[in-house]
Amino acid sequence: MQRATSSPSVRSAGTPVGARDTRGYRAFTVFNTVALVVVSLFMLYPFVTVLAQSFSSPGAIKAGMVSFWPVGFNLDTYRAMAQDGLFWSSYRNTLVYTLVGTTIAMVLTTTFAFVISKRHLRGRGVLIGVAVFTMFFNGGLVPNYVLISSLGLKNTMWAVVLPGAVSVFNLLVMKSFFENLPQELEEAAQIDGLGWFGIFGRIVLPLSKAVLATMVLFYSVAYWNDWFSAFLYLDKNELFPVTLFMRNLIAGASSSASEGAAAVGATTQAVSANIQAVTMILTIIPIVCVYPFVQRFFVSGVMLGSVKG
Amino acid sequence: MGDLTPRARRPWRAVPAAVAASSLLLLAACSGESEEGGAGLDNTEASMTDFAADQQFKATEPVDFSILWTDWPELPIKDSWQLFDEIEKRTNVTLQPTNIPFSDATEKRSLLISAGDAPQIIPLVYTGEDAPFVSSGAVLPMSDYVDLMPNFQKYVEEWDLGDMIDNLRQDDGKYYMVPGLQEVSVPVFSMIIRKDVFDEVGAEVPETWDELRVALEKIKAKHPDSKPLADGFEGQSMLNYAAHAYGTVAGWGFGNGTFWDEGAGEFTYAATSDGYKEMVEYFHGLVEDGLLDPETLTTTSDGSVNELSEKVANSAVYAASGASGTVAEFQLALQEADPDAEFELVQIAPPGGPAGQVVEPRNFWHGFMLSAEAKDDPHFVALVQFLDWLYYSPDAREMLRWGVEGETYTKDADGTITIDPDYSLDAYNINPDAKTDLAKDLGFSTFLAESTESRALKESYNSDQFVEYMDRVLESRTPRDPFPPAPLDDAELEQASLLATPLKDTVDTNTLKFILGDRPLAEWDDYVTELEGQNLQGYLDLINGAQQRFAEKN
Repeated sequence: MQRATSSPSVRSAGTPVGARDTRGYRAFTVFNTVALVVVSLFMLYPFVTVLAQSFSSPGAIKAGMVSFWPVGFNLDTYRAMAQDGLFWSSYRNTLVYTLVGTTIAMVLTTTFAFVISKRHLRGRGVLIGVAVFTMFFNGGLVPNYVLISSLGLKNTMWAVVLPGAVSVFNLLVMKSFFENLPQELEEAAQIDGLGWFGIFGRIVLPLSKAVLATMVLFYSVAYWNDWFSAFLYLDKNELFPVTLFMRNLIAGASSSASEGAAAVGATTQAVSANIQAVTMILTIIPIVCVYPFVQRFFVSGVMLGSVKG
Repeated sequence: MGDLTPRARRPWRAVPAAVAASSLLLLAACSGESEEGGAGLDNTEASMTDFAADQQFKATEPVDFSILWTDWPELPIKDSWQLFDEIEKRTNVTLQPTNIPFSDATEKRSLLISAGDAPQIIPLVYTGEDAPFVSSGAVLPMSDYVDLMPNFQKYVEEWDLGDMIDNLRQDDGKYYMVPGLQEVSVPVFSMIIRKDVFDEVGAEVPETWDELRVALEKIKAKHPDSKPLADGFEGQSMLNYAAHAYGTVAGWGFGNGTFWDEGAGEFTYAATSDGYKEMVEYFHGLVEDGLLDPETLTTTSDGSVNELSEKVANSAVYAASGASGTVAEFQLALQEADPDAEFELVQIAPPGGPAGQVVEPRNFWHGFMLSAEAKDDPHFVALVQFLDWLYYSPDAREMLRWGVEGETYTKDADGTITIDPDYSLDAYNINPDAKTDLAKDLGFSTFLAESTESRALKESYNSDQFVEYMDRVLESRTPRDPFPPAPLDDAELEQASLLATPLKDTVDTNTLKFILGDRPLAEWDDYVTELEGQNLQGYLDLINGAQQRFAEKN
């Protein structure tokens, strides 16, 4: 009746139940924590600096006074950026490209992966071969460009969205994930009267949330960061994604300080470090926000794949 | 995470190489154009029959021409720009721009040209940049069509640029780009000094490198903690303008490393010459005595301009390389460090040396090429006439820089141009408070404006300080004569670059080592032997062979 007083478990509450940590283990934990904190501080430092620069006055940045904390607090650049039509139209483009691209990529990749995960499929080897072939060989830059432009995709969203729609790496990860789902489930579903589309849509996909979330993350980050295909296939700056806008701003500005531009007498006025910082901050915000939410799926997804192998 | 997908891993740096390789394959079929001159062309639709120099070009019917437009981040192109309307109004020509971002403009340009997808007009081409496209036939030999360009011919002659034009010729004796013509040209980069500090220690503005050394010693005596001289461009800028004074080439101006020996009538290697050695010795002396900041010679140029501004702001450096823009940067940094600071920054003419008061040879500015397809356009002659007007006629030059007379600027009897008070030209700090900017809002004073300039037009928009610098250079310095052309054919080009790259690496490394004192100057002969071991003679034979072949042919 007086369980609380007599129970040893209350007395020992707060101390580990299992074997005591050895001294060596505790030392390791301390060392590990310190080391990891130091390493993560190193990684955070550039971000913090850019953040601080984005709130600092251009002069202070130039004089090298900004490291952790804004110097000469300044919101004008944010205000000016908020009114920059080109920046926001690029931003909207990036959002659209990322959403449309990720959706198309997910549809194509999941369906393709499901098909080639079926060992009894005739011609499966050929289908996999076709995909894997593109991992090792590609047509090269100019042929790709000619292809895209003769398909009439140039200067459209599709030139950015379609060429990367099936990433073979993602496809193979997904294929092996599907292969590891118990075959009995599908058999049971078949007996209950589901067709292949039913099995795929009602059994397989709900069970694959982890890998789907991971793939969504991979694809959306890739689309978000992609500037190269936009650079190749788009000729109008109202179609440019924000990454290209930013690349122009940053690479353009730093190259004006370098040899090529200098030797020919660049007339560029360097874009101030402050504007660069503001653009960087505004550009990474959405994708940084997505990470924490998808992270847990991502971790469990990778583990699932590895344990079940 | 993005790195995991093959798409994101695509190495963009391979672009130029890939483009060059593919262009050969793709466009091999296009080469072998016929060799007719401009006069015999029959695609003359919309062209003027009596087009002459300094005359207004106007197409006889409205035409569209496509043009490649490099998009500067701080100057994004707008369809609404008055520039395009004004061109249309005057010439009946509507320009259709294809935008390419400035950051990777040359890569994209190569791609477009190689894929046969380039717009008709390819502007912003610097001398020598046409070479990779010559063998593919993707661009037109402009030398065949200059007879359609009266303005170009007039100003080449008037500004005495004929010899320099001949130097543009490729191995086949033709040139494929026409450059922007400059009535006068002065080095953009030279030395910027804190004149107040020079005055304070009783040093004159140095006219020679020896005078500079004396001045630096005086400053060092007064400010022992400083290292008064620096270069924010890994030393490349300072070596560039110093080399001319020592009768050699170095740094940014090193080029392919050859130097024309007038007396012997052949190319010699610059980095083994006595002048080069003397220059290296001079700079080593400065480092040894703590007069030249060795740190700035080794930090990569990306961030070091900032670091250098910091040093200037902290009074650790009193003279450094830079252009007029650098002066503004230093000013900003100095004011930021101390709002009440009193200082005077002056860009001085590059100091002279043993070779005399010599500066870099006169330069062309960027010009244009025409893509091969343009020749099939029925309006081809009109296109060439239009470009001749746009690039070389004084009216067009003034419009491109200042806009519309009576609207955005006025011009008085002696030709002085004054901007209308309602307009600004922020890039040159003119009327900064006005609401409408000539460049950002109207498209004037963009890259087309700087291509060809008379001296008067150049002086009309530059700051008084720069004009002073320009006048000083023009009256007290002589530009070095240009070297004779030695164009290489395709096979030689490849061989030459295979030989030149390791040679240049050796030169770069050792130049720095000698200057910093990491390698004693007593080992100079060993260094020359090392270069000879890398087949220096073979390389020179190749260049000299090309020079002789070209001289015989033309």
